[in-house]
Amino acid sequence: MEQTPFLVVDAVSKSFASTRALDLVSIAVHQGTVFGLAGENGAGKSTLIKLLCGVYQPDQGRITFAGRPHHPRDPEEAERAGISVFHQEIPVCPNLSIAANVFLGPSMPKRGLAPDWRTMNRQCVQLYGNLLGEDIDPKRLIRDSTAAEKQLALLVRVLSREARLVILDEPTTALTPPEVARLFGIIRRLQAQGITFIFISHMLEELMELSDTITVLRDGRNEGILGKAEFDGRTLSALIVGRTLAGRPDKQALKSSAEHLVVRSLGLPGEFQDVSFSVRKGEIFGLAGLAGSGRSAVARALFGAPPAQSGEILVDGVRRHIDRPRAAVEAGIGYIPEDRKALGIFNDLDVKLNLCMAGIDRFSPRGVLDKRKLRRVTAQMRDGMSIKMQSPDASIRSLSGGNQQKVMISRWLALKPVILVMNEPTRGVDVGAKQEISELILKLASEGYTFVISSSELEELIHLSDWIMVFNRGRVARLLPGSEATKDQLILAATT
Amino acid sequence: MDAMSQPRRTALQRILGLRDFGVLVAALLIALFFSIATPVFLTSYNLFNLLRQTSQLGIISMAMTLLIVSGEFDLSVGAIYAVTGVVTGILVNKLGLSIWVSASAGMVAGLALGYLNGLLIATTRINSFIATLSTMMVFRGLALVLSQAQPISLQLSFFMDLFGRAELFGVVPVPIVWMLGWGVAMYLLLHRTAFGVKVFATGDNREAADLAGIKTMRVKWIGFLITALAAGISAVISLSFLKTVTPTQGTGLELEAIAASVIGGTAMSGGVGSILGTFLGTFIMAEVRTGLVLLGTDAYIQDAFVGLVIALAVIINVRLSSRRK
Repeated sequence: MEQTPFLVVDAVSKSFASTRALDLVSIAVHQGTVFGLAGENGAGKSTLIKLLCGVYQPDQGRITFAGRPHHPRDPEEAERAGISVFHQEIPVCPNLSIAANVFLGPSMPKRGLAPDWRTMNRQCVQLYGNLLGEDIDPKRLIRDSTAAEKQLALLVRVLSREARLVILDEPTTALTPPEVARLFGIIRRLQAQGITFIFISHMLEELMELSDTITVLRDGRNEGILGKAEFDGRTLSALIVGRTLAGRPDKQALKSSAEHLVVRSLGLPGEFQDVSFSVRKGEIFGLAGLAGSGRSAVARALFGAPPAQSGEILVDGVRRHIDRPRAAVEAGIGYIPEDRKALGIFNDLDVKLNLCMAGIDRFSPRGVLDKRKLRRVTAQMRDGMSIKMQSPDASIRSLSGGNQQKVMISRWLALKPVILVMNEPTRGVDVGAKQEISELILKLASEGYTFVISSSELEELIHLSDWIMVFNRGRVARLLPGSEATKDQLILAATT
Repeated sequence: MDAMSQPRRTALQRILGLRDFGVLVAALLIALFFSIATPVFLTSYNLFNLLRQTSQLGIISMAMTLLIVSGEFDLSVGAIYAVTGVVTGILVNKLGLSIWVSASAGMVAGLALGYLNGLLIATTRINSFIATLSTMMVFRGLALVLSQAQPISLQLSFFMDLFGRAELFGVVPVPIVWMLGWGVAMYLLLHRTAFGVKVFATGDNREAADLAGIKTMRVKWIGFLITALAAGISAVISLSFLKTVTPTQGTGLELEAIAASVIGGTAMSGGVGSILGTFLGTFIMAEVRTGLVLLGTDAYIQDAFVGLVIALAVIINVRLSSRRK
């Protein structure tokens, strides 16, 4: 049984500026096995993968692949050595056929200058049959295929080019459960043919089902290796998270005021179903879950962008028909999107217009812009929220990410809506600003603003929230008080 | 308090805003060049003539700027300009209606076409470049069918004086007055109202504008109505001055309007632009055309020079705006 491992990573380190992304990490992958890799965002998984496929080069340490030193300078070289990566998004040419996508590249079969479609189609059918044991129509456009079929096409593509180690980076996020089962079947079949896999997933169940061993990374270090016999959700999530964090220490006793926002069996096909909760005035309600679990779709639905298709939303006991952002604003709901650059900021406008955009009609008596008032409102917000800016007339691009985020929050405070829905409130701001924005949210909540916060950062949610609702594949998995929530409980509920 | 903390800006910058400054310099340099090259250029007669000739384009360009800032185009303005003229001419000559009623009806017809453009884009979400390319052909066809492809001559009247032929104080041709009036209205609308801010926001980042509660489709729709209105006003000025309408009038006007906007610093991607810049852009195009005529240049080469000016203006603008970041 004791054979030389197929891939050996020996005490590899990699730093970016001052952060150490990988710190003396070692792994050993045996041929024909599925090697599970687990860890939080930022634990070092993707850095490790990028070293293997030549995007980055290690600062120190050695990598050996198939008995030879493996130090690729670019992805092409890694691919020639036999290592291929599958990313979450699937790069295909949608308007070409399956066969064309499989053979696309310099080695495409040709007859003279023209592509040799007959040979390609025949070989494509053979490859699918031999490798995957599946029957396909090679002439079908990949555009008309499901996400799963696109993935298979890419899998066939790399295998047809003699890939021997395939890295699967979150391959199941876009798949339905039956498709996942099919993919797993195919992976086992390929494994029997001697293909080796590194499998990365946030879904612990999937990791445990498919992997032969699971290695956990945390903060750029090896945290532990589990053999098949030791697989257990609790052990795994404890390893992934490390220390167990409790809720925020200074959490006040729950306010006994009236219910401010009530959501009853909200549903949006393909995103989430049967979501019900209620939030009291001044409470912070956290939404947790993996990407695509429905948590951010729920946050968006509260603002009507896009609206839910079933269920109802009540503000202060009054049923509100929120079919678009305007209706939400009229109901007193403000929304701060997850992607500030793409969905929030107006790049070519100045700070005051960015800040006052949601209330621009209110600041313009009879439609005429009152710039003096805009400047005054902006200056007030600047002082109240300590936003660092040269002047209200400065370009929004001259502000740091954290200050831009404060402008986004102020956009709604200037309008005085009382419920603020935030999607990833501290994404893309630095650590100090993160802290500041968290404190700001707590302060505003104590002043009577009600918050619904969707976040992928569990520590932040635990720190802020009075209640945390965990989503798993579009359904509510758990609801627990923030003071009792721990990180591994949340991860367990989100992933199993 | 807060007004004090702003960095001081020079008077010139405050009047023009930094963006329009480069266009103004370009306009002055070109004027200087032609003034030296030919003594006729810098005479009040020539300058008024130049402005009068460009007034119809100016009116349409300034409206087009608003639409481009909101992130859309209207290639059908030239055709709407023709339909307005043809409808007016037919109502006067065939039905014997008064020129006042006919011209109003013609403008309403133009507005209806602008409404159709908005409707098409709102309901189908087709790219406005394609959508108005198709309506441009349809509207032009409408003008040709209605007029049976024949020019229509009109009788001289007070109306013609008011909109096309009179000269204010005996020197300023009245189309210039209309252009300046329209320019002031567009300037106030785009740069001094809440609606104008929404136009900028919509073109700058449509999704963010939607999420800020702005009805972006409505903003764009109003933009299409405004360009159609501008085309209508221009058509009335044209028929008043020329006493005639032709179904092929205004062919290519849409591209000149876009060119003037671009020379004036309007970004094709939306969200950036100014009415003053576009006015200067129109002026530059007219300067180059008139200057070349005065120099006795072959008429066939003029468009080529205008083309070069457009390319030059855009290159300079790109350089300037990247440096400003």
